[in-house]
Amino acid sequence: MTRHSLSWAALAATLAVAAPALAHHSFAAEFDINQPVQLKGEVIRMVFTNPHSRIFLKVTTESGEVQEWSIEGGAPNALIRRGWNRDSLPPGTQVTVLGYRARDGSLSASGGSVTLPDGSSLNATDTGVGAPQ
Amino acid sequence: MSQKVPAVAAFILSVSFLFQPLLAQERSRPERIGGKPNLNGIWQAANEAHWNLEGHSAEAVAEFSQALGAIAAIPAGQSVVVGGEIPYLPGALAKRTENRAGWPAADPEAKCYMPGIPRANYMPYPFQIVQGEGDQILFSYTFANASRPVFMRDHQRAPVDLWMGRSNGSWDGDTLVIEVNSNIENTWFDRAGNHHSAAMVVTERFTKIDDHVMQYEATIEDPETFSRPWTIRMPLYRRIEADARLLEFNCVKFSEPLLYGEFMSRDAAAEANQ
Repeated sequence: MTRHSLSWAALAATLAVAAPALAHHSFAAEFDINQPVQLKGEVIRMVFTNPHSRIFLKVTTESGEVQEWSIEGGAPNALIRRGWNRDSLPPGTQVTVLGYRARDGSLSASGGSVTLPDGSSLNATDTGVGAPQ
Repeated sequence: MSQKVPAVAAFILSVSFLFQPLLAQERSRPERIGGKPNLNGIWQAANEAHWNLEGHSAEAVAEFSQALGAIAAIPAGQSVVVGGEIPYLPGALAKRTENRAGWPAADPEAKCYMPGIPRANYMPYPFQIVQGEGDQILFSYTFANASRPVFMRDHQRAPVDLWMGRSNGSWDGDTLVIEVNSNIENTWFDRAGNHHSAAMVVTERFTKIDDHVMQYEATIEDPETFSRPWTIRMPLYRRIEADARLLEFNCVKFSEPLLYGEFMSRDAAAEANQ
């Protein structure tokens, strides 16, 4: 085992938390592929939790209503491999998120691409759970 | 079927070779490894710091006393904080009071969360140090199956905050120095609600006194929580039983009735308690 792979394995082990196993689920169990959604808003905070990371987003609708959305993303280890880190989405960042709405109509979605103010984008897709890639 | 026999034999052979160095270790324990003190072994604190880093009197835990009597009492302990008290900023002191009021349910230990550093080193469970001549030293803890590699090169911050932090190690003479950064804000120091922020950096020093005892020191720097850096100091003792080893303490199931009891049937809760 190379040093590189050992350190990633160790990181993955360190990120593992006891409780959230109960929250692990397939894409189709919670989200609807027929309800794509585009959300423009301000990052409240992002948490790197297993098995899914989460972005909390303040979105103001056309009618002026302020909504708080919860955007579910891939596991921290997957996101870190794609270039995410603790400084990727500081609170207050204006972002555009493409995702799929929850089946239960709640203000939550499975996230895909997250576009930053400078036009660059990061991929938050949850892989391995049947989410559209 | 017969083709599997050599594979099985090879497996048994390789497993027996795997354990041989462990058996040999206690018989001929080298004083030094790669020119550095040999810290290998199973270590444990023998103090009351896991209850409260600061000095405290014995007291009953009222809500458990009726069932457990003196077994549920908290033993008195002297402060392991150099100078006696933790130098909290006013707002952070209020947060400790709030944490204490919420104990034990609010304590990450009750939830079986990985304890973080420094708490993992003085919980009432043994931990193991695995040291070779390579570029990493492994600390493996009984509680919550937590572990941390100590990187002796390639010092850096982790990309995100971690329950056990990122450990960057170096030798200062015969003292192993570990700077632990990238600490998640959710861990506590003890069962008394002592806490920190994600800005915390811990600098640990492990210095052998003899082959059975080492001095452990950890300096806590966290300007968001404390008015100045502060240090804890305590000896750690090596478990010298001939067959000393870490035993499994998978506390997830022990935490479930506390965390999810309201969603569990009485039978399931009873089963988890077994």
